[in-house]
Amino acid sequence: MNRRANEAGSTVVYMARHPLRKKFVRDWRLLLMFLPVLIYYLVFCYLPMVGIVMGFEDFRMGSGFAGLFTSKWVGLQWFKQFFSSVFAWRLIRNTFLLSFYSLIFGFPIPIIFAIAITQLRAKRFGKVAQVITYLPYFISTVVVVGMMTNFLSPSSGIINQMIVRMGGKAVNFMSDPHWFRRLYVISGSWQTFGFNSIIFVAAIMGIDPELYEAMNVDGASRWQKIIHLVLPMISETIILLLIMTLGNLLNVGFEKVYLMYSPAVYETGDVISTYVYRQGIENHSYGYASAVGLFYSAVGFVFVVTSNWLSRRMTGSSLW
Amino acid sequence: MKKITRVLSLALALMLALCAVGFAESLNLAELPLTTEEGAAVSILAMNSWYSTVDLSDATLLNEIASRAGVTINWNLIDPTVYSDSVSPMLAAGQDLPDILQMPDLDLNMDYLSSGMLEPLDTHFDIMPNYVAFLEKYPNIKAMLTAVDGHIYYVPQTVVTNNYQPVMMLNMPWLEKLGLEAPTTLDDFVAYLRAIKDADMNGNGEADEVPMSVMSAFLPYMFGPAFGLDLVSGFYADDEGVVHYAAYEKEAYKAYLTFLHGLYEEGLLETEFTSLNRDQITARCANDQTGATYDYSWQMSTLYSAQYPNYDGTVGIIAGAAPLSGEHAGFYVGRNPVSSVFGINAKANNIELAVKFLDYAMSEEAQDLYVWGMEGLTYEVDADGNRHYLPRCTEDTIWYQGLGINAPNMPSQQSTPATDVLLADWHVQNDRTFEEPYIRAPFPTVYSTPDEAAVSSMYMVDIDTYVNERAVAFISGYADIEAEFDSYIATLESMQIGELLKVRQAQYDRYLASLK
Repeated sequence: MNRRANEAGSTVVYMARHPLRKKFVRDWRLLLMFLPVLIYYLVFCYLPMVGIVMGFEDFRMGSGFAGLFTSKWVGLQWFKQFFSSVFAWRLIRNTFLLSFYSLIFGFPIPIIFAIAITQLRAKRFGKVAQVITYLPYFISTVVVVGMMTNFLSPSSGIINQMIVRMGGKAVNFMSDPHWFRRLYVISGSWQTFGFNSIIFVAAIMGIDPELYEAMNVDGASRWQKIIHLVLPMISETIILLLIMTLGNLLNVGFEKVYLMYSPAVYETGDVISTYVYRQGIENHSYGYASAVGLFYSAVGFVFVVTSNWLSRRMTGSSLW
Repeated sequence: MKKITRVLSLALALMLALCAVGFAESLNLAELPLTTEEGAAVSILAMNSWYSTVDLSDATLLNEIASRAGVTINWNLIDPTVYSDSVSPMLAAGQDLPDILQMPDLDLNMDYLSSGMLEPLDTHFDIMPNYVAFLEKYPNIKAMLTAVDGHIYYVPQTVVTNNYQPVMMLNMPWLEKLGLEAPTTLDDFVAYLRAIKDADMNGNGEADEVPMSVMSAFLPYMFGPAFGLDLVSGFYADDEGVVHYAAYEKEAYKAYLTFLHGLYEEGLLETEFTSLNRDQITARCANDQTGATYDYSWQMSTLYSAQYPNYDGTVGIIAGAAPLSGEHAGFYVGRNPVSSVFGINAKANNIELAVKFLDYAMSEEAQDLYVWGMEGLTYEVDADGNRHYLPRCTEDTIWYQGLGINAPNMPSQQSTPATDVLLADWHVQNDRTFEEPYIRAPFPTVYSTPDEAAVSSMYMVDIDTYVNERAVAFISGYADIEAEFDSYIATLESMQIGELLKVRQAQYDRYLASLK
C-alpha cells in the first residue's frame, strides 16, 4: 500500500506543475488510443440516457427523438402503475434471487477450480482440464438453451430417460417453476466457471515460488499452504472481481431468461428485463417500459455504490 | 394472446400464401399509368414471404404491377415472424420511414393513427376509386376501419372468415377400426382417447400411440365452446349482448380447467403440451401415432393426411369433424376479415402518388394478378374460357411463391371459392359439412377511444400474462384448482378486469350501433 501511496503522491505533484495543455501534447498518443473507447461509451451508454425522460411522459408514436421534448408529461404515473401492479414484487424478487443464486453458487466455483488445478502434480492433465472447462464459454446462449431443452425433455431427453430407467417419474424440468432458477444457475456456472478461473489461475501462478519453499521448510501441509498462502495472496483479485460481479448483480442475462422461460414458469422466471421487453417492444408502452427500466437501473446503481463502499471499509481496496 | 397470435399466424400464413382471391373480371377504375413522371418511385415497408427461402423484393408479379402503374417500388421487406418486434420501434422513432407502411398490428388502440404520422385516406378518396368501390361493397369492413375521429387511415388485407378456420381433426381409419362414430361430445371424445390409449392402434407392437396431439394454443379453441366459452376472442358477447371475459367466468372456466386437468392427470393430454409443435405432430402422422389433433383446416389435406403412405387424395385420413359439445352446444370460432392494414406516411415525399399506388394495389386488376398470376406463366385458358393453373405452380412451390402470388406484402384479399380450387374435393366437402355450419363470429375488432386505449394498454398485457400462466399451472396441477381458483378470480378483479369489461361493453355497443 505504501508504494502505491507514494506513486499517487508523485502524480499529484506532477499534475500541479504541468498545465493541462502540456499534458495533452505529451500524452496525445495515449489519448488517441483512448478515443474509440470514449466514443463508444458516449454513443452507446451516455447518449441513450436522454431516453430516460420517456419514463416520465406519454410518448407519442412516430415522433422520434423530437418526441422526447414534445410528448405529454405524466410525472410519476408509470412508476405508480408499476408498483401497484400485482407483478411488481414478483419481478423484483425473481430478478434479485436469480442474480443472488448465480453469485452464491457461481462465484466460488472458479476459485476452487483454479486452486485445484494449480495444485495438480500432473501438469499436462491440468492443462487439458482447463481447456475442456473453458470451451463451453464460447457456446452461444441459444445453443446452450437448445441443448437443455433437448436433454431435459420429459419424453425424449437423456436425463429423464435415466430417471425413468431407475424407476423414477419423468420431470418436466423446463416448464416447472421449481426448476427454473436451478437450471439457470447450474447451466450458467457450467458455462462460465472454466473461463472465469483463468484470472485466478494467473494470480496463483504469480505467487513467488520462494514463499512455497519457505512453507515447505516449515513443514506445512498442502492444505495449510492453500489456506495460509494461496488464498491470502489472491484475496485482492477475489475482492476486485467480487465487486465487479456485485455491480452487475442485477444484470441477469436477458437473452437466456427470454430463451428459457414460458408462461408456465413466469412465476419464478419472469424478470424485470423480460417484463420491460414485453411491455415496451410487444405492447408499445414505451413510457411505462422506460420507467420500469429506470427503476431497475437505479437499484443496480445502489448495488455498485454499496459494494464499493463495503469493500473499501472491509478490505481497504476499491474501484474508486 | 400475443404469443398465441404468433403461433397461429404461421398456420394462417401458409393458408394466406396459398389461398387465392376473387374471380372477378379484371377491373381497374384508375387511369394507368398512374404517373408519367420519369423515375417515379414508391417505397414500401412490408412483410416478406412466409417461406424463409423466398425473397419478394424482385417478384415477377409485383414488378408487373409496378410497371403497369409506371413506378418503381423500393421495398423494405422484413421477416414476417419478427415483423411486429422489428417494425414497432421503427414506427415509434418515426424517422426516414417509407411512403407506404404495413402496420405491425391493426392499431386498435389508435397509437399510430392518432399520432399524426399517417395520412387520413378519406381526404384523398377522389383519387382512390378502387378503394371507395371496395368499401361500398363491404360496409362491415368500412365500419371496422373508421377511426373514432371519423377518418379512415388504412387499406386492409382481408382473409376468409367462415371457412378453413381451426378445426378438430380425427384419425378416420382408427375410428373405423374401433367401430366408433366420430365423437361429438366431450364424454364420447374422452372414451375415444381412452380406447386409443389401451390399444395398439397402428399394430406395430409398441405402445407408441399418443391419443391426442394438440398444440397448447389450440386447446381453448377445442374445449372452450363445450363450456360455453369463447376463449379465443377472450371477450365475447352473449345472446343478450352482455360482454364477458372467458377466463373470468367463475363456473364455466373452472369447469373447463378441471376437465383439462383431468385429461392431463390421465395422460390423455401429454406432459409436454406446452411445447408441442406442428413438426412433431406431422412426424406422428407419418408414423401413424395419433388419434386426434386440432389445427388450421388447411393442414388437414395438405400436411397431415399427406403423411400417410396410403393417402390417395380422395378420402381424408386425418379429417375434420363437428365441434365437441358439453353442457353447451359446440362451435368453431371464425375470424375477423381484416388481417393486416396499410397506411401512408404523412411525411411521404409524394403523398398523391403513394395514395394512387395503394389504391391500384387493391384494384380488382391487381387482385387478379395476386391470385392467378399471368397467362402463360402460371395459368392457361381452355377452350371454354376457364382458367387452369399450370403444373409448375404446384410442383415448384418456391418458384411459385417467389413470383409474389397472394403477396403478403400487398393489400390482397382471400376468398373461399378461390381457396376451394386449391384443395382436394373431400377437403372442400369436409369444410362445408363440419366447419361452416358451426362457425361463430369472433368478438368484433373496434377502435378504442383514447380513454379506452389507456385502460386497455394499462391492464390488458398483465391480465393476459396472468391468465396464460395460471391456465398452464392449473392444467398441469402445479396449482390446485379447488384451493386456488377463488384467489385467481380475486386477483383478476384486483387487476381491474371490471374496468376492461366496461370498456369492451362500450365498444361492442358502439359496433352494434354502427351496423344499424
